[in-house]
Amino acid sequence: MKRGKAWAWFIMFLGVLYFFLPLVATFIFSLKARLGELSFQAYANIFNSPQFLYNFGASVIWAVLTIIVGILLLVPTAFVIRLRVPQFRSPVEFITLLPFVIPPIVYVFGLVRTYSQPPLLIVNSPFLLIAGYTILSMPYMYRSVDTGLRSIDVRTLTEAAQSLGAGWGTILFSVILPNIRTAILSGAFLSFAIVIGELILAQYLVKPAFAPYMAYVMEQKAFEPAAMAIVSFALTWIAMGIIQMVGRGRGIQVGGGH
Amino acid sequence: MTHLSLSNISKQFANNTVVQDFNLEVDKGEFVSFLGPSGCGKTTTLRMIAGFEVPTTGTVTLEGKDITNKAPNQRNVGMVFKAYALFPNMTVAQNIGFGLKVRRENKETIQATVNEMLALIHLEQRGDSYPYQLSGGQQQRVALARALANHPEVLLLDEPLSALDAKIRVQLRAEIRAIQKKLGITAIYVTHDQEEALSISDRIVVMYEGKIEQVGSPFEIYNFPQTAFVAGFVGTLNTTTAEVVDPAAHLLQIDGVQLQAAEGLEDKQRGDKVTIAIRPERFNFVAVEKKANILDCKIENITFLGSVVRIQVAVGSNRFYMDTFNNPFLALPKIGDADQVTCSREAVLVLRQ
Repeated sequence: MKRGKAWAWFIMFLGVLYFFLPLVATFIFSLKARLGELSFQAYANIFNSPQFLYNFGASVIWAVLTIIVGILLLVPTAFVIRLRVPQFRSPVEFITLLPFVIPPIVYVFGLVRTYSQPPLLIVNSPFLLIAGYTILSMPYMYRSVDTGLRSIDVRTLTEAAQSLGAGWGTILFSVILPNIRTAILSGAFLSFAIVIGELILAQYLVKPAFAPYMAYVMEQKAFEPAAMAIVSFALTWIAMGIIQMVGRGRGIQVGGGH
Repeated sequence: MTHLSLSNISKQFANNTVVQDFNLEVDKGEFVSFLGPSGCGKTTTLRMIAGFEVPTTGTVTLEGKDITNKAPNQRNVGMVFKAYALFPNMTVAQNIGFGLKVRRENKETIQATVNEMLALIHLEQRGDSYPYQLSGGQQQRVALARALANHPEVLLLDEPLSALDAKIRVQLRAEIRAIQKKLGITAIYVTHDQEEALSISDRIVVMYEGKIEQVGSPFEIYNFPQTAFVAGFVGTLNTTTAEVVDPAAHLLQIDGVQLQAAEGLEDKQRGDKVTIAIRPERFNFVAVEKKANILDCKIENITFLGSVVRIQVAVGSNRFYMDTFNNPFLALPKIGDADQVTCSREAVLVLRQ
C-alpha cells in the first residue's frame, strides 16, 4: 500500500516536472536580459514597447468582440436546440467541433479565397477576423453554454416564466442567462485564451494581434519572447483562476437538488 | 357559470393520439382534478389549457373567449409544476414578484402583493432566501404563491406534491385547498394519486388512454364507478363477471350463486354477461337471517391494515376482499373456516362495458 502511494507521488512528480520545467526554464531565461544578473528587464522592455501595447490591445479588443458575438450567436442557438429542436443537437454539436478537425491554415486559406473577390470583398475588414475567431472559439463557447443549460431545467423554467407572462427576451435575459452565468464566463475566458494565443488567422488576414507580434519579436530578440510567453501564460492562468472563483459562487439549483 | 370550457379537444403527437374527444366545463371557483395513470393524457390536457401544447382539434374557452391558439404568456393562467421551477437566481420575494414585474406593476404594488402572498403561504420571514435554502415543501408553497401573485383566471397544478414526502404531501394539499377556497380561484389539479384527488376536489375527471372515463364528485367516483377502469383505479374493488338471470328483477348469477343488484340491468337480456363490482367494505358476515345476496365462502387470508382488517374470501372460483374496521374486541374468523358473506343490493354495481 505504502509502496503504491510512493509510486503515485513519483508519477505525479514526473508530471509536474514535465509541465513546469519548460515553464521555469523559460521564466529564468526571461530574467537574463542583463548580463550577469537576474532582472525583469525583458518584461520592462515589452511593457514599454508601443508595438507590444498596440498588438496586445488589439488582441484584447478582438477577444472581447469575439466573446460578445459568440454569446449572442451561441446562447440563443443552444437554448432553442435544447428547448424546441433537441433532434438537431447531435448535428449542431458536430458542426461546433469542426474547428478541431480543420487546420486553421486550411480555414484561413478558405476565408481569404472566398472573401477576397466580389461580391464579398471583405478580406480587409476586421469583421472577417472576428467571424473567424468566433468560429475557432465555437467548440469551447458552445460546449460551455450547453453544459450550463444541461445543469438547469430549461424547459420547466421557460414554461414557468411564460405562464407568468414573460416573453422570449425576458426569459432569455432574466431567467436563462443568469442561471448559466458561470458557464458563459467559462466559455468567455476560454475564447479569450484562444484569441490571445491565435497566430495564423491574424497573420494571414494581416491584422495586429499579440501572437503574430510575438512570432515577429522571436525572430529579432532573445529574452523578450520568453517574457511574452510567460505573460501570455500568466494571462491564461488568471483567466482560469477567475473561472474557478466565479464557479465557486452560488450553485445552480433546480427541483430541490443542488 | 362556466368559467373554463374544453370542447372536443384532441391531441396527436405524430401518429399517437394522447387525448381524444375531451369535453369539460368548469365553473368559477371549482376545484377539478384530472386523475389517471401515467400516460393517460391528463398532463397533456393541462398543458393545452396552459398553452404549452396546441390541441389538434377542439377549442379551449376561458371566460367565454377562445384561447385555443393564444400564447402561454397571453392567457393569465397560473401554473405550479411538479419540479417547483423556481428561478434559482432570484430570491423568494423576487420569484413571487416576477410576474408582476413582467407586467410592469409599480414597486409598491409588487412589494404589497409579495408580502400578501408570503403571509398566505406562511413564509413571511423567508422573502430574502434563495430557493436552494428552502425545503421541498417550502419551495412548492413559493411556487404556488408565485402563480397566484398574478391573480390568474385559472390555477393549474401539475402533480405539485409528487416530489414531496407523504406527511408534507397531506399537509400541503390541505393548504392548497384552503388557499384555493379562500381566493375563490378556479383550479385544475393533475394527479395519479386517487387519495389526493378524492380528498381535495369538487369534481374528479378520471382519464384512461386519452379519454374521459367518468366525471363526478369524489363521492360519486368512489361509490358509483361507471366503468371497470374507474372501479379498478379508484380504491380497492372486487370485480367479477356475472350472468344476467332476470333483468327486470336485477338478478345475476356468479358460479351458480344468485346475486341481486339495485339497478344497471335495464338494457340487458337474460344470459348476457356483465361485469359487477363490490367494494370490500360493503361485504359483511351474515349475522342475521337474510333472503338475498348470501354467498357461501371460505376464509383464505386475513391482513391487518391498521384501522382496517382485510379478509380474503373464496366464493366459488372468485376471490373477494372484505374490509372490516379494526377494534381490539373484533372476533375474527380463522383461515380455512367456512362462512357466509352478504352485501346489499345497492352494493352490487353493474359496470358499463
